Amino acid sequence: MGVMRGSLGRSCAGVILLLVMVSPPIRRATEASMTAHMLVQYTGLLLAGGLLSHGLPARWLQALQRWNEVGIAGLVGSSLTLAVLMVPRVLDLALTDMRVECLKLFALVLTGAALRLSWRRAGTVVQVFFLGNVLPMMAVVGSLYRDAATRVCNAYRLDDQQDLGLALVWIAVGVLTLWLLHLGLQRRDVGPYQ
Amino acid sequence: MLRTVTLSLVLALLAWASAAWLTEDFQVWTAEGARRLSVIERPVPAPAVVLAGPGLTQITQITQITQPSLPTSLTATGEITIVAFFYTRCPTVCTALGSTFEELQQAIAANPGSGVRLLTISFDPSHDDAASLQQYASQRRADPGRWQVATVPDAAHLQRLLDAFQVVVIPDGLGGYEHNAALLIVDERARLVRIFDVSDHDTALAYARAIAPRGAAR
Repeated sequence: MGVMRGSLGRSCAGVILLLVMVSPPIRRATEASMTAHMLVQYTGLLLAGGLLSHGLPARWLQALQRWNEVGIAGLVGSSLTLAVLMVPRVLDLALTDMRVECLKLFALVLTGAALRLSWRRAGTVVQVFFLGNVLPMMAVVGSLYRDAATRVCNAYRLDDQQDLGLALVWIAVGVLTLWLLHLGLQRRDVGPYQ
Repeated sequence: MLRTVTLSLVLALLAWASAAWLTEDFQVWTAEGARRLSVIERPVPAPAVVLAGPGLTQITQITQITQPSLPTSLTATGEITIVAFFYTRCPTVCTALGSTFEELQQAIAANPGSGVRLLTISFDPSHDDAASLQQYASQRRADPGRWQVATVPDAAHLQRLLDAFQVVVIPDGLGGYEHNAALLIVDERARLVRIFDVSDHDTALAYARAIAPRGAAR
């Protein structure tokens, strides 16, 4: 019973977070700056997707598992989606083209759910493959944003873009560090090398 | 595992298709790149907006600058116009833009009858009144026969022009603006046909001369 209540609570939190993130005032506020657009809105929607996935019925999860062994499909889809959503034109288009905005919001929620449903199932090898794709990409995009002499988005300021670039590099480094720490702790659980 | 592989491939295909759409077949990564590509493929007709500025003795529509059949204070007869958007208080990009336009004017003067003229349009009409524009034009030694300095006094007209040419103006947080400054080539039929970086002014001028109608080259 406790597990059910927990997942109900989480999926409700997911619904609330999703509604907050897509509500016009919050969307306007997060999309007013490039940094908030990518760091706050993207993260919020990924998180909402992850929380929402707690609400999926067990039967769906079982069926999904057959299409997502070792979390491969979910992580492949997630890394590709994140790559597409880091193309600077997406940020500009999302402000002017409602179709792109809707697809972007939808893709982020779906990616959040896919990440949660796939991460644990993926072994270290698949996780290395995923992070080996996403983190260098994030760092490269970040340093491009940081070092570009011109703006990559017409709707955002250069200083904003440079802040975001630096933040992306630091997030990539931070995630890598956390993952390595996590891996180290796991190994210690297994016991010392003989 | 077959199903997982299939789903992965379908997702990869979807991502590839959306990336191809987004980047116009992997040619551009930014909205600015897409804008420049799209005007080459589909020239943008200049909307009929009213311009005002020194040397414009009467209210002038932008289309009249390049359409000789319409009454206009400008002497143009089917010329190519190199257009740039700016505002006079601009401390950074527009200073470079001003120098570039001075150079362009010299180059055009050195080769008269090339059928190319210059037009700088301020997107800040609330500050850039006739006096500011006049002062700017004199500072930059703009020859009204070759280089017109103007603004679009009507806010709705201004927005229509900025939207049509995809000029994005945003506050820079310091009381000024950031904008996608560029050299816009408007042909003799008042269509935006090509966009160049301000630093590529030599190429822009060469292109404008190349497409100038023969009749204009006296």
